[in-house]
Amino acid sequence: MTRETILNIALYVGAMTLIILLLGWGKPSKVLGLFFVSGLAVGSLYALGGIGLVVLYRATGVLNFANGAAGAAGAMTAWQLGQWAVWPPIAWLSCILVALFISLAYGRFIAPLLAWREPVVKAVATLGFALIILGLVSFIWIDDPRSLTLPTDKIGVRILGLRVTVTRLIVIVTSIALVIGIWAYLKYTAVGLQMRSLANDRDLSALIGIPILRVETIAWALSGVIAGFTGLMFGDLIRLEPTVITFMVIPSIAAAICGRLEHLLLVLIGGLSMGVIESLLTLSPLLKGVRPVAPFATAALVLLWYQRSNRLTFGGGD
Amino acid sequence: MTKLNKLAIIAGFSVAGLAGQVMADPICGMNTGEAATGTPVIVGGIHGNAAPGDFSASTDAAKAYFDCVNANGGINGRPIDYRIENDQWNPEAAAQAAAKLVDDAGAVALVGNGSFMEMAVNAQTYVDKGIMSMASACAISECHETPNIVSTNQGPLPSNLGATQYAQEELGATNVACIALNIPNNGPWSCKESIGLMEARGGSGSMALLNPGAPDVNSALLEAIASGADTILLNLPAGLAIAVLKAAEEQDLRDAYTWIAPTPLYDLSVPAALGDYWDGKVYVNAELAPFSVNGPDAQNFLKVMDTHANPDDPRDTFAQSGYLSATYFVKRMLEMDPVDLDDRAKVTDAIRSISGYTSDLMCGPYYVGDADFHMPNHAGWMTKIVDGGFEIVRDCYEFDSAYFEPHIAIEKELGLR
Repeated sequence: MTRETILNIALYVGAMTLIILLLGWGKPSKVLGLFFVSGLAVGSLYALGGIGLVVLYRATGVLNFANGAAGAAGAMTAWQLGQWAVWPPIAWLSCILVALFISLAYGRFIAPLLAWREPVVKAVATLGFALIILGLVSFIWIDDPRSLTLPTDKIGVRILGLRVTVTRLIVIVTSIALVIGIWAYLKYTAVGLQMRSLANDRDLSALIGIPILRVETIAWALSGVIAGFTGLMFGDLIRLEPTVITFMVIPSIAAAICGRLEHLLLVLIGGLSMGVIESLLTLSPLLKGVRPVAPFATAALVLLWYQRSNRLTFGGGD
Repeated sequence: MTKLNKLAIIAGFSVAGLAGQVMADPICGMNTGEAATGTPVIVGGIHGNAAPGDFSASTDAAKAYFDCVNANGGINGRPIDYRIENDQWNPEAAAQAAAKLVDDAGAVALVGNGSFMEMAVNAQTYVDKGIMSMASACAISECHETPNIVSTNQGPLPSNLGATQYAQEELGATNVACIALNIPNNGPWSCKESIGLMEARGGSGSMALLNPGAPDVNSALLEAIASGADTILLNLPAGLAIAVLKAAEEQDLRDAYTWIAPTPLYDLSVPAALGDYWDGKVYVNAELAPFSVNGPDAQNFLKVMDTHANPDDPRDTFAQSGYLSATYFVKRMLEMDPVDLDDRAKVTDAIRSISGYTSDLMCGPYYVGDADFHMPNHAGWMTKIVDGGFEIVRDCYEFDSAYFEPHIAIEKELGLR
């Protein structure tokens, strides 16, 4: 970890703490605690989505807007299998498998056709793919009230007065575990090294014999699994609505931008803090109307901070 | 719910609805059994069907009824040419849909409209063009507080009032928190009257507004709890209300509060989506007759849907509302001279003169009247989610609010009271 990264993390954590204190100023600590923990729970989902995006972006240069749609298709499949009384673990696994299949299908058959195009073209292509998936999912599962429930929803612990279910704890723990696991994978394995090489210079990597298609396929698979897991958690904890799950990718991108599309720890911190700020804004009569803007305002400020060193984070030749 | 499952439920629902009765053809309009062959009367309908919601149930049901009327002599021999447009929740498309139907096609009336987008955009257009919209799925103030739109459904304001009134009178509610969407002409507009009702009766109330773009509903729930409320009013579309109830389940808040909701939760899919945890704990207002009432019009509605609608068209409250608007329109048109049916001004006057139409699907009489506001349906039923369905806990009752004073004055003028 470079000195600049440590400085960025310290500054970010300091700024977020200040904002949280300002928003919570004068509020009873119990109320503040409730909103803080609630925000952490949502933020962990943003972080989880952001981690999936960054893993793929680092290896392939594709910012995948279709991650949410793949998760939505998976979550709806899991719900459907549940309705057909399929053994629940199979239904949950199907969520991950469907998202994995969608991600792999795009990564194996469409993404290579765009491999040499600019990052913005690649990203917009995934947006189109996301809308196609969303259209198909909305066609199969017409608008109707539904919910997805996991057994871990029934078990919970009290943190700062708020009951936190095991499902939410799983999301938070998984996010942290993913950050550590993916960091170790990229640092200590041959495929990880190849992924870093691809992220650094795709042309040069091809010249020195790195199996680009194989490495990218692994990255798409990893991203698909994370998207499926995120979709399942989002469907359970937030709402089982394909549109909502599909577009959860937007705040996830904001979290990914906080990590400069490369630093997983910052993505985690970014996602969590965005969730907390969004939640605490509810306490402000003046600002609660702008809650959905919070992740993007945060990402914009982070971008401005990064820009001081004039390095592009997306869409350029970096 | 998949199309396949929907078909199965619809089939079961239809069978249940008709159980114990002799299968018969539906009764539609003149009921001659002969197809109408005269010059068509052009009627329009606009719904919104795109993410995030499908509001086409009302126009589906209106179309089914008009098809049935056309197969049974039409309007004195003239079939209804019912043209439906989808505004896709897009203001520009909503304005274009109205222009297409009102200006280009020359529709004499709009029936069964189900899009709060088009109502907000086109309310003034309907006034300017002198055309009446007999809507069926209203959810915003423009639908009830403009001269040329009248709906058979209630929208959130009366349905909220009905739920709040029941909770105050029967469940001991003293402080109601209304969780609603932060859309001024929907959430705040409709919550305000329920809070007013509580205050008028010595209680209190507050709003916890949810931004439509925010995926997380937990904060709104926490805000409602922080207000000190003892009753939570879920003034939300069904999907969002379920999300709030799930968040409440996570906190095990079921027994700490009274949970009430307006009509959007009166949907056959809701009890299953909520699960056993909420059994017997959620009270839902029904703005049209609950399915178990099953009066003659309710049965005819199902027969019309079975014989003239697509199998996967919903048989829900909005469909009932679309059917009712269509029946009232046809009834009034049958009373007109057939040569006047192409004259929009005369059709508009005829619709405005509707008074005292009744149906077992609605608690009170339906009327239009010559006013700048219309809300004929302001009485309803109260139900409770029990055993995977809905149990009626209070039969037809009128909602008590100062908001209805001008409406009641018109009803007195029309001799309906």
